[in-house]
Amino acid sequence: MKPTLPILALALLATAAAAEEAPAVVVGDDVGEYRRIRIDVVLEPSDDRQALQVWFARAPFDSLVEAQLHSTIRIGDTTTLPRTPIPQAYDACWSDGSPVHRDASGSPVLDPDALDISCSLPGMLPGVDHWIAVIAVDARGEPLHPIAPVVGRTDALDQRTPPPDTRPVLFALGAIVLSLLVLLGYLRWRDATQGRRGAHLAHLYVAPAVIALAVLTFYPVAYGIWLSFTDAHQSHLGEQSWVGLANFGTILASPGVGRVSLFTLVWSLANVSMHVCLGLLIATALNRPGLKGRTVYRTLLLLPWAIPGYISVLAWRGMLEPDGLLNAVLGTDLDWLTQPGAARTLVILVNIWLGVPFMMMAMSGALQSVPQEMMEAAEVDGVGRWRQFRHLTLPSLKSVVVPLSLLGFIWTINMFHVIYLMTRGAPYVGFGEPGATDILITYVYDIAFEYGNYGVAAAWSVTIFLILLGFSWIYLKRTRALEGIA
Amino acid sequence: MPGLRPQLLAPWAFALVVPVATAGAEAGAEEGETRRNIEVWYSYTADTREEAVFVEAVQSFRDAHPHLVIDAERIPYSENVAQFITASQGGEAPDLVRISHDDVGRIGFVRIEGLPLLEDLRHHLMPAERLAYDPRGLTAMRYENALYGIPSTQSCLALIYNRKLFDAADEPYPRDDWTTDDLLATARRLTDGDVHGMAVPVKTSYWWFGFQTGFGGALFDADHNPTLDSPGSSAALAFFQGLEKEHGVTARGITPESMKTRFSQDRVAMILDGPWNWGDYLDAGVDIGIALLPVVAETGLRMAPQLSYHGWAVSKQSDVKVEAVDLALWLTSAEVQRRFTEATYSPPTHLALASDPSTFDDVAARGFLRQAGECVPAPTIRGVALIFEPLDTALQLVYEGEMEPADALAAANIELAAKMRQ
Repeated sequence: MKPTLPILALALLATAAAAEEAPAVVVGDDVGEYRRIRIDVVLEPSDDRQALQVWFARAPFDSLVEAQLHSTIRIGDTTTLPRTPIPQAYDACWSDGSPVHRDASGSPVLDPDALDISCSLPGMLPGVDHWIAVIAVDARGEPLHPIAPVVGRTDALDQRTPPPDTRPVLFALGAIVLSLLVLLGYLRWRDATQGRRGAHLAHLYVAPAVIALAVLTFYPVAYGIWLSFTDAHQSHLGEQSWVGLANFGTILASPGVGRVSLFTLVWSLANVSMHVCLGLLIATALNRPGLKGRTVYRTLLLLPWAIPGYISVLAWRGMLEPDGLLNAVLGTDLDWLTQPGAARTLVILVNIWLGVPFMMMAMSGALQSVPQEMMEAAEVDGVGRWRQFRHLTLPSLKSVVVPLSLLGFIWTINMFHVIYLMTRGAPYVGFGEPGATDILITYVYDIAFEYGNYGVAAAWSVTIFLILLGFSWIYLKRTRALEGIA
Repeated sequence: MPGLRPQLLAPWAFALVVPVATAGAEAGAEEGETRRNIEVWYSYTADTREEAVFVEAVQSFRDAHPHLVIDAERIPYSENVAQFITASQGGEAPDLVRISHDDVGRIGFVRIEGLPLLEDLRHHLMPAERLAYDPRGLTAMRYENALYGIPSTQSCLALIYNRKLFDAADEPYPRDDWTTDDLLATARRLTDGDVHGMAVPVKTSYWWFGFQTGFGGALFDADHNPTLDSPGSSAALAFFQGLEKEHGVTARGITPESMKTRFSQDRVAMILDGPWNWGDYLDAGVDIGIALLPVVAETGLRMAPQLSYHGWAVSKQSDVKVEAVDLALWLTSAEVQRRFTEATYSPPTHLALASDPSTFDDVAARGFLRQAGECVPAPTIRGVALIFEPLDTALQLVYEGEMEPADALAAANIELAAKMRQ
């Protein structure tokens, strides 16, 4: 990118033109700044000098063809120009102990009477010798003296962000793993000493799973809980301090917290109940003896589950656009996803559509385990189909339906991608509040990754975790569904 | 442990020994190698002209620097900032990343151990190199004095029209001296049945910015305080949504996506769009023209949409900063920028190209470069990234008739100011 013709001209003229003394250039002490070399220049008075040019090369040079232009310092009237403070300027130059004046482009301008200038030249390679020449040029850009480069070098090291301090994490993980190994070793020793010979290898077999669970699940959860009691924020990561329950106070005082919590509850209950009901209905229908085309039906009904979720969601979003398929079919131009009520209903319907196939398959499997003899006996006794379903089929499915619906509830309350891809929480119905279709998990995402408020986001996550824990506990207690299994 | 069979320990020993041995081998390989890796994150959509030019430019650099291994990874545009911040916090940031100046404030605000995530490029660029770029673009890439990126392209909305629909209605094409009255009158005459004179996403903030400046409003004042509550902003919002609700010259509920679809199907005569969709319109066979956005009749000010600069930034964590800066300089060089503009119509930032629209033969490249000269970059502050949620809420509430423009914008202003203080 060297402007070769002007340089050639300058080079040819350089030896001929020697109207004044070359500026005295001294390479200053290493300023300790990465990629910068400081030079101090002393000038003789001159009326011809219109600019100073700084040239450099990685080897000695006596012709500008061999060098590269680094910067130009114009010499002219500075009365109307500001002296931009060094921290605000692109580069650093001083004259008479003050920052130099600068023109509109930020380039330095030196007063004609000034006889010294110092610059910290950026862009120099560290650990390498540079030959630097400062050349005074006249109005035509021609050098006024021979080239006299001096050697400069910077060894200042790059300032890099320190790598994250992983020692506490590794220490915690190491402690967890060691504790588990000791525990498993103890249990195995106890089994061996108590004569349970058949079980003594079991601990070894479960050890990888237990350790993986501890490292990948328990530790992050514990870290999240700790984070929820700190003021962790993007603006000062690594310097968070303990704030007690302040983050939980913040989330309780957040505008719209009641509305987003209520919609999360509606979202979860509507989805799970419809998943279970529709799944059971379809599975029962497909389970009727003698039904023709059962495999075809099952395959077709499995399609929403087989297609990657994000593709299905984006397809639905496209269909619900004003120019989408739904409006084309209905002959309308409604903007469904920007109406709060419609948007909420539609995101729920799309998630129901996505979730039914899984429930249908799970229910189909469970229906196979219902004893046929019992159903035949009921039929012989004249029990109607609804009563058979109500009093025989449903109780038989309880041990499957309860954990499935519990699992479904946990999945649905944490279902991020449907809302995120369809509406991103929009439409917005109040300033500073979650969007109309936000559920807790999408709202937390915004707090963490849009606003960088990790402490509050962690507090929300802990709250969601506690809600799920409480719900699961009560649900299992009330239904007593797993007693037979345990 | 009594009774433990040696063969059962073998998998454990293998699992422990192999990673250690592999790590040792890698360390040994690094000591002997002079090759250096540069990891680059870019956010061009897959299989687009943008990506093709970028890949070609990277290949040229690779050929010229065989000792460098360049790993270029595509990151979704809407995710690149969040992913970069997250990766940086984990010590996994790429060496070079493509960013928009709108996001510089958001990234610049983040600190790890008191240090920023991006490298201050003032240490790396010689003045002779720096002066090659549009000073406005360089200023846009600065946050709290530091220079965090080298600008490579600029873009903003321009008035794009369908020549076929204008010709069919015997209407003259938009001119530089058009006012909003001319725009509206022409749009009314071109609206007929399923064909609309305009398509404007009237609930999308980004499209409103140009109207706001035209009506004398601004997002922030000189001290970077939000000024969404100005009378000009309210008038702009009323006019903006009035295009649909009052004048009916734009179809109901237009989104950026449906605007593109309708224009591609010859169902819209005029849209406000950027260079990123121009190629798609050509591919769809639309006979298109481009003009400057009109002057607002009430104020005499030309509509000036938000100008966004995109550029290349170096991670503070990079251990190949010198090489990464060299690559950034190449990707923003006049040679690469020319190829990029010719392929994608995005105006350049290199002064050798940007200072004169007639540099380019293509009508779109010239048109977008002229329009960019009229556009206004948003200030490089964190508030820019925070503006969309309050503003989208205001636009939604006004659109639904639940608030008046002045009240909604005043509330949005309060909300934005509160977010900026947090």
